[in-house]
Amino acid sequence: MGGGGRCAARLWRGPGRTARILVAVWSPLAVLVAALSVAVAAWAGWRAVRDRPVILRQLLAGGVVEALLLVQVVIAAVRSATGDGPADAATFWGYLVTTLFVLPVAAVWAFAERTRWSSVVLVVASLTVAFLAYRCVQVWTGA
Amino acid sequence: MTSPEGSEPTADIASPGTSTATGPGRVLVAVYAVLALAATARSAVQITRDLEAAPVAYLLSAVAAVVYVVATVALARGRRTAAWAAVGFEAVGVLAVGALSVAAPDLFPDDTVWSGFGAGYGYVPLVLPLLGLVWLARTRGRTPDAWRTPLG
Repeated sequence: MGGGGRCAARLWRGPGRTARILVAVWSPLAVLVAALSVAVAAWAGWRAVRDRPVILRQLLAGGVVEALLLVQVVIAAVRSATGDGPADAATFWGYLVTTLFVLPVAAVWAFAERTRWSSVVLVVASLTVAFLAYRCVQVWTGA
Repeated sequence: MTSPEGSEPTADIASPGTSTATGPGRVLVAVYAVLALAATARSAVQITRDLEAAPVAYLLSAVAAVVYVVATVALARGRRTAAWAAVGFEAVGVLAVGALSVAAPDLFPDDTVWSGFGAGYGYVPLVLPLLGLVWLARTRGRTPDAWRTPLG
């Protein structure tokens, strides 16, 4: 009886620990997304100044940001499912899902132009993602 | 602007007037797309949540969102007439609503994209149509006549 109780307690603690980890990584992840987006913007801005178009390596960097965004989606979904969701669910998901589309669409749009203006397009898109990541955190906490 | 036609794999080269979407125009379209997205999302949330709270402001938001989408598509596809109309409408809209929101704030219990001349969006809604009009004027005549559709 006692052993069974301990086992149940251990099983019970499992999800709690996962939830704590998800809570702990949430804000640093958002900060990382925003910081990387700003870095991608800076890189693109530098290339625009030097009259260079977007190159494939920049799209890969954007792909890293995109992958982190997908991790955010998973964490947000798990937290929402366990009753620890955002203050304003509709607005939050609106922001997060919108954010997912910005870089892929911008990548296609920028890559079709082989001039410095493609770099400016990437600056606009990555700054948009950084801003949206910041808003996501705000909306989650209800600010 | 100076990009050779062959470097545009996704665009239909024979389509009329893609010239508004190349060079600086490509950036203009990108910023328009972001604003269209922001205005559409905001308007959708406002209308589905509580239309009665501020019907004038919310319907205006919806109109602005539609016009931004039209402007984005028209500039991206080089539809000059539609682009002139949409961008011109935005210029008039942001100036008129901006002035009204300052003079008669009672009309707008909640903000629209154009309130305070677009202050809530970093004045992008004020600057963008002006840039759009300049860009359309500067690229005027760039499209060969043979490519023009009867409407523009």
